[in-house]
Amino acid sequence: MTQEVKLQNSASKPKKKRIASLDKRKARAGWFFVLPFVLGFVCIYVPMVWNSLTMSFQEITIIQGGGYSTEWVGWANYYDAFFKDTEFVQTLLTGLANMAFEIPAILVFSLFMAVLLNQKMMGRAAFRAIFFVPVIISTGIMETVQANDLVNKYLEETQNTGIDDGSGQQVTEGIVSLFEVERLFEMMQFGRGLAVYVVTMVNNIFNLVNRSGVQMLIFLSALQGISPAIYEACKIDGATTWETFWKITFPMISPMILVNAIYTVIDSFTTNSNIVMMYINDAYSKSGEEISSAMAWTYFFIIFLVVGIIAGICSAFVFYQRRD
Amino acid sequence: MNAEMNKPRVKRESRNRIRVDFDRSPLKERLKAKFLNWYFLQKILLTIFRLVLLIGISYVVLYPFITKISASFMSVSDFVDTTVRLIPKHFSLEIYRGVLTELNYAGSLMNTFFLSTAAGVIQTFICALIGYGLAKFKFKGNKVVFILVILTMVIPHGTLHFAMFMKFRFFDIYGVFNLLSKAGIMKAVGGINLINTFWPLMLMSLTGLAFKNGLYIFLMRQFFRGLPDELEESAYLDGSNTLRTFVSIILPLSIPMLVTVFLFAFCWQWTDTFYSGIFFNSTKVKLLTNFIDTPKSLARAYKASPGWDMYNSSIINTCGLVIIFPLVILYVFLQNFLVQGIERSGLTAS
Repeated sequence: MTQEVKLQNSASKPKKKRIASLDKRKARAGWFFVLPFVLGFVCIYVPMVWNSLTMSFQEITIIQGGGYSTEWVGWANYYDAFFKDTEFVQTLLTGLANMAFEIPAILVFSLFMAVLLNQKMMGRAAFRAIFFVPVIISTGIMETVQANDLVNKYLEETQNTGIDDGSGQQVTEGIVSLFEVERLFEMMQFGRGLAVYVVTMVNNIFNLVNRSGVQMLIFLSALQGISPAIYEACKIDGATTWETFWKITFPMISPMILVNAIYTVIDSFTTNSNIVMMYINDAYSKSGEEISSAMAWTYFFIIFLVVGIIAGICSAFVFYQRRD
Repeated sequence: MNAEMNKPRVKRESRNRIRVDFDRSPLKERLKAKFLNWYFLQKILLTIFRLVLLIGISYVVLYPFITKISASFMSVSDFVDTTVRLIPKHFSLEIYRGVLTELNYAGSLMNTFFLSTAAGVIQTFICALIGYGLAKFKFKGNKVVFILVILTMVIPHGTLHFAMFMKFRFFDIYGVFNLLSKAGIMKAVGGINLINTFWPLMLMSLTGLAFKNGLYIFLMRQFFRGLPDELEESAYLDGSNTLRTFVSIILPLSIPMLVTVFLFAFCWQWTDTFYSGIFFNSTKVKLLTNFIDTPKSLARAYKASPGWDMYNSSIINTCGLVIIFPLVILYVFLQNFLVQGIERSGLTAS
């Protein structure tokens, strides 16, 4: 009897210990995997962020012969950025307004394109390949090259004057003219604002396609993740494609809409073609790195607020599928 | 048609074989029923609409490249000639000759290739590692690390422009190097100068802090979450440790996603101007991004001719084309993986 009890004790104790240590080992393995990031974050990233943040409160004088000295000036750089620099606030507001217009367009467009590219059809692979060309190639240096491209502009202009019936208008017309769309929208009882918005967006389609590549990718993979069984059930119950989209597809990918909204905000305010970013880069070379970093941090905090607001609003509507 | 005709005729051919004959309605009626209905019309219209839309947008995407390519084969007189649109009248390879021979293309290509490959491989591996750690292991601080990853994505690197330069100009980890060199172990008073070397980008890639690595980590994490846990459990049961499981079980399964991330990392490093602008300020290290220039021989020959502005722009465009040419080849080979990577990644909620 006693032997049995002892055996049980000795058998149960190490077993309990082993479970605990497995968990611990797994936790250790987890830390091992994220270690590169944590190390880099602590050793490289935090000092950089700290340096940049403190710099916005300092004045830097470069000592001749190498090195520099800093002096704490408090909020002076921010004061300069806001009240002495005449254009910063204006640029900031314009940039934010642009963003408010562009983000819904990018989201809607990328979702629409993702749904289109997700359907089975001839040449789907080819279309997908073409649509991701701008994401892969038209970045960085090509953005600069494209911005200064005279040939493209010239060809577009001459083409348009070729089509023009000689009414004397030298203005380059876009893909659609406002006048036609307005007439169309008038019949549908929408406001003029919407017409202007749609026309601007359609004429900016290259820009739009260019910037919605990653979002399209994320939406596509989210669409692939929806189980076909749900669609089948819907079809059997007699739902139309339209209904299926709004009742199934939309809720199922709503988490990715949130992700994409945040990604688009971040992406559109960090690209170099963003006017505020351009202004800040200009300020870097013109009025020194202190003021430019003060501007950059102000901008960052505003964007952080925007991201927070978007995340707050969206997450109220996001639908999470419960997994059992 | 009466009921009798609709009945299939069954004829017994042998013991265990029968033959069934149906009366089919004539071809004309069958075609009518198939094609002349509302459903088919709707389908056709939808297909046409979709095709037109897709082809239109593909055209918009490819148009700038088409104009650039056609202009790169033109000679100066074609830019003045208003009858020339997309097809050059005087076909010439002068621009290519000038750009490829006078601007040290080969040297820049080698440097950029080395840098991008190293950055791409390292970033892909490190982001997979971090994403795997975040996806499959429950430990205290998992969520905090994830939020920090998102934070690195949120703070634009443009904000850190000057700080980044200073960090790698006087590279030091919390003054440790300085202390060590004071003690006589190292020679790095005031930090090491890493500018004009590949080290800053390598270090940032190794720690998952380089351009858009937050996005890669996020994609990887979502991907690994979709893989069933049973895979690893069976590997653990067979006595494999976590790292080995990761390398020999998980990585081979996630090749499409890895290729997707590699493609992004490689191409974005290839065309990057921001980081190369910060970390390479001398002309010693030649990269493709500061390769764009007008060849001297072309400038000398055509500066006075009337189409020079356009011609110069076309030269710059050709430089751009030459820069992205290797990327296009890579993309053609890897785009299949990109599409597969999307299909299998299965990003879902939570």
